[in-house]
Amino acid sequence: MDVLLVSSPYDAFVLEEAGELSERLLGEFRNLDLHYPPGLTVVSTGAEALELVSRDRRFNLVITAPYLVDMSAEELAREVDAAGLDVPVALLARNPRELADLTASDGEGSHLDGTFLWQGDARILVGIIKSVEDRRNVAHDTREVGVQVILVVEDNIRAYSSFLPVIYAQLLEHSQRVIEEGFNISQKILRMRARPKIILCRTYEEAQTAFEIYQDYVLGVISDVEFPRGGVSDPHAGADFSRTVRSLYPDIPIILHSSRPENEALARSVDASFLLKGSPTLLKDLRRVMLQDFGFGDFVFRLPDGTEVARAADLKSLAEVARSVPAESILYHGSQNHFSRWLKARTEFDLADALRPRKASDYPDAEALRRDLIEEIDAYRRDLAQAVVADFSPGSADRSVDFYRLGGGSLGGKARGLAFVRQLLLETGLDRHFPGIELGVPETAVVGTEVFDRFLEENDLHDFAIQCQDRDEIEARFLEADFPEEAARDVAAFLERSPWPLAVRSSSLLEDSAQQPFTGVYETYLLPNEGRLLADPVEQTLAAIRKVYASAFSPQAKAYLKATPYRLEEEKMAVILQRLVGSRHGDRFYPSFSGIARSHNFYPAPPAVPADGVAAVALGLGRAIAEGGECVRFSPRYPHHLPAGKDALQGSQRGFWALRMDSASASFREEWFELEAAEADGTLGAVASTYSQADDTLHDGLAREGVRLVTFAPVLKQNLFPLAEVLRELLEELKHGVGGEVEIEFAVDLGAVPDGPHRFGFVQMRPLALARQSEELELGDLPEEALLCRSTKVLGHGRTEGIRDLVVVDFQRFDRAKSQEAAIEIGRLNSKLVERGAPYVLIGVGRWGPRSWLPGFPWPGIRSETAALVGEVRSARPPG
Amino acid sequence: MNEYMSSLMAEVQMRNPGEPEFHQAVHEVAESLEPVLDRHPEYRHAKILERMVEPERVVLFRVPWVDDRGEVQVNRGFRIEMNSAIGPYKGGLRFHPSVNLSILKFLAFEQVFKNSLTTLPMGGGKGGSDFDPKGKSDNEVMRFCQSFMSELYRHIGANTDVPAGDIGVGGREIGFLFGQYKRLRNEFTGVLTGKGLGWGGSLIRPEATGYGSVYFAAEMLATRGDSLAGKTCLVSGSGNVAQYTVEKLLELGAKPVTLSDSSGYIYDEEGIDRDKLAFVMELKNSRRGRIQDYADRYSRASYVAVDRSRDHNPLWDHPAQCAFPSATQNEINAVDARNLLGNGVTLVAEGANMPSTEEAVAVFVDAGILYAPGKAANAGGVATSGLEMAQNSMRYAWTRDEVDERLRLIMKGIHRACVETAERFGTPGNYVNGANIAGFLKVADAMLDQGVV
Repeated sequence: MDVLLVSSPYDAFVLEEAGELSERLLGEFRNLDLHYPPGLTVVSTGAEALELVSRDRRFNLVITAPYLVDMSAEELAREVDAAGLDVPVALLARNPRELADLTASDGEGSHLDGTFLWQGDARILVGIIKSVEDRRNVAHDTREVGVQVILVVEDNIRAYSSFLPVIYAQLLEHSQRVIEEGFNISQKILRMRARPKIILCRTYEEAQTAFEIYQDYVLGVISDVEFPRGGVSDPHAGADFSRTVRSLYPDIPIILHSSRPENEALARSVDASFLLKGSPTLLKDLRRVMLQDFGFGDFVFRLPDGTEVARAADLKSLAEVARSVPAESILYHGSQNHFSRWLKARTEFDLADALRPRKASDYPDAEALRRDLIEEIDAYRRDLAQAVVADFSPGSADRSVDFYRLGGGSLGGKARGLAFVRQLLLETGLDRHFPGIELGVPETAVVGTEVFDRFLEENDLHDFAIQCQDRDEIEARFLEADFPEEAARDVAAFLERSPWPLAVRSSSLLEDSAQQPFTGVYETYLLPNEGRLLADPVEQTLAAIRKVYASAFSPQAKAYLKATPYRLEEEKMAVILQRLVGSRHGDRFYPSFSGIARSHNFYPAPPAVPADGVAAVALGLGRAIAEGGECVRFSPRYPHHLPAGKDALQGSQRGFWALRMDSASASFREEWFELEAAEADGTLGAVASTYSQADDTLHDGLAREGVRLVTFAPVLKQNLFPLAEVLRELLEELKHGVGGEVEIEFAVDLGAVPDGPHRFGFVQMRPLALARQSEELELGDLPEEALLCRSTKVLGHGRTEGIRDLVVVDFQRFDRAKSQEAAIEIGRLNSKLVERGAPYVLIGVGRWGPRSWLPGFPWPGIRSETAALVGEVRSARPPG
Repeated sequence: MNEYMSSLMAEVQMRNPGEPEFHQAVHEVAESLEPVLDRHPEYRHAKILERMVEPERVVLFRVPWVDDRGEVQVNRGFRIEMNSAIGPYKGGLRFHPSVNLSILKFLAFEQVFKNSLTTLPMGGGKGGSDFDPKGKSDNEVMRFCQSFMSELYRHIGANTDVPAGDIGVGGREIGFLFGQYKRLRNEFTGVLTGKGLGWGGSLIRPEATGYGSVYFAAEMLATRGDSLAGKTCLVSGSGNVAQYTVEKLLELGAKPVTLSDSSGYIYDEEGIDRDKLAFVMELKNSRRGRIQDYADRYSRASYVAVDRSRDHNPLWDHPAQCAFPSATQNEINAVDARNLLGNGVTLVAEGANMPSTEEAVAVFVDAGILYAPGKAANAGGVATSGLEMAQNSMRYAWTRDEVDERLRLIMKGIHRACVETAERFGTPGNYVNGANIAGFLKVADAMLDQGVV
């Protein structure tokens, strides 16, 4: 907000003197914690003003003296309008005498956006700015956000010029308190914007119209007793207007003010508060009445006879106090709609709306009302906290928050995806959709990219990291480097309140953007975050973060970035510290199972179609799947279609990944255990079947003797956990939310306690890169001998010139057991060809993918951007 | 091929158009039986072969069922009742998309001779459907099996036709089929083999093929006054057949030194003893690991990875007296066969199906070593089906040792039949001829006795 003040140098001087104007403005806004305090520029002539406003578009408001050396305020406003400039012009008269000459100057047909009187208090500036702002925004904000409105009916410029600043000061002070309850800057700004708006009306007709338009949003009315109706001053106008309001909304508070004390009785008769205009304590009284009637202060619990029993300053304490106050007080406030009004004044519109239609008579007794009230508030607060990424502050004790940002900067791709999922779950109610299942993003703190920048800068690592090609050397240097102090403190504070194992993952700026899947390029580390005797968890965590930072500069990452349109310098790392979903079993910590699911299946087996999606799950931590190990693949649409009999023996999981809790090693990685360990832990039964050789039969569960196999039959067939249903609904919602195909990583823990809740935690969500050109391709007849290869299944098409090389994996000689070796060799060829910048054709067996969990090549460095055309040969097994 | 055989083949091809697999099966049998029919005009006169190539009965039926989506699916069901001269029809049910009339007739025709060779009273048959149990839910498979049996039950019975499992029909399918049969007929009989151990199944089924081939080998050695004791044996594979081959070899005092899987093989000069076998069983059955782990565990053993660029399999190139190919088909080519002979191998018993190529078989037969074709050596599997039927008829279940002993006697019987027949037809010691002809003779004689039916 930039304000242009047009007045004689003298007037400007007077204003400056009186209140150190810009300081004052700055102060008012600084309290709001806004990043952009208004600036004030002073010019002395209309011409200058016009010139400046039209040249410099930053001005949002012109405040002008009534008469300038070259034109009047009215003329200036007209000129501004005529020039097509959308800048409001308000008039500020220096003394009542100037006003007298100006009667009706901003009435009908006037170009001015308001007329005010200087009375020695610089806060009038704030009043003017806010008043003009409100006039412009009220229609939009009430409609869009449900912002509340205070109707001020007053025809006397002097009167409203004196109390508008008071009302605004009151409003701002109030918003200030409410804003502090916001969990982050954007929520704070939202709350700021949602503060009640003031509509100034100067005639009965204006008031009537305004009330008709905004009646659903009226928080309160402050009205003169006598003001013009039908063009003449009417002593009954105030009372009549009050009655109109009362007849429709008996609970809207009304304040009538008058210079005649005898009007107090009149005010009483319409159930309004009364203020005496001439009173030396008018402004103080106004303040008091607003606090009390408009819900601007604490919520004061009273008994029906008015006795105060308790106070609540904010939502949290409201829920707390509501637990203990006498039932009759709850009943009293409930029946008077006090809760909802107080909430509306605090911009908590959703909650207010939820509570407002409920009458005390809807409840069997006061206790039911009390319970409902507390539940609503708690649930609302939880949602509020969950729906946003809160800035972490070590002191904050609010436990309802579970997604923080530590340090400033971006969250990075992966964390952004998680934040999005979190919000989507809340908005769609999916988080509570499945009874007995806690579905959500596990507690997460994201170390923002600014910390990464600071780390590199403070340790002067940037140039070194970009140039060095030795992975170990980079990591060693990074591990020695100092971690930014403030961030380290935040991490320590976060760990303090998160006493569970954590995953430390990269979340780089470029990662998981729709076009560039970086899966598997950066590392993930796991921390027991326990056992202070073994190692300091804070030091361990910081070391893991440093390692993730280092992985941004690993030769692998560098090579990968080279094949993308990005530059290494653009890459910045945020780091996710996320609660590991799982339970502790002896010295092992792991989830019941982990998985990946995609909304699109590239290789559906009938009757499934691509849109049915596909999922892969494995007992224990998800590394098995991410690295293409043995797992169970299924279609969420056909979860019962699983391998049976001997087929199940092929490619079923032989062991699982878990985090060793007693390990003092600094590898920060999961370890591999045999299935026997899971059976001993009691976690195998939920996902296993038994193959009996003697009967050549696969029996679900562990009841029989035989070979234990991870088939997921108890989950998928016996519905021990409604995995398929959950995935179907999630993928569907996410597809809508993202506007395209998605891939999610998740972990499910059925808990160590029999009837405890099951947890479904999101580990990652990313849009699925699925380049698909939509136009039909008409090839016509091509001679067989001109074709290099042909396929009935392609993922998009295009034209690439200048292909000279062909890299082919010999399908006849390909040995699946050696796919790792083959991948390494292809990787070598790939980097050579990439270096030359030559597009080439790559043809291999199975599916290409970033460490794909689908069969094929586990080579993260190869993407279709590198090779112009990637072919996948699928082996056709002859029927046995 | 003589004129009679040629005209028979022409007739078969004309009468069974579009059944190439069946034509081929008849062709192979006809070829091996030429000397028999030449010497025994009574078979020709009674048109035994002409009758054999015509199934006694073919049942072809509709199998409608409803899938999980509520869609109606229609499959085709078959039962070829090929020959019941020596016992109730016996043969597997195959559920696979490739199933058609030609393939099932081919399999049923072969089954007649296979069953006959076991010396047990089992006729030959085969059946199945073009239904693919892969990618189907348990419920879909169950609904299919119930629909399939709702027709088949009219045609089978413990004394009529006793189907078993085959590709696509394992313990689960046998269970569903048996349940529906029992419900429709209201009787609990041994109408299917391959049943669960708790409801009529027999012990020793996984072991049967491996044990059987070792018993057969022991019988072969006995003809030369020798035994397996102290013999160094090369065994390929590491599945059921190989594992139980090794187990029985150890029991009989031999020294197995190799095992393999699809990625390579191990050679343990010191011999694979009981502890090491237990490790392999745990490795392969429970942990489903690679045989390479054996070499990691036992440092004296060496591991050699598969190298497809080689023209031979080095597993067959170690000093030994016996070889038990128990992995897969065509695992011994002519080069391997000569390597075996060069290393002193004098006995080859095929636990797998057709592990030796045609050229390799010729090398063995020419060298006059003890060569037991799979047809005879791995008949232990089929034999236990017969033993399951026998136990069901008695309403009794034998112990492991009892079944094992019966199996030994059966293998002994098969061996004797092969030796005697080979001798009778002038090729003493030729187990290939012996096996081919012995199976035929028993059926042919029964048909002669029973008149023109």
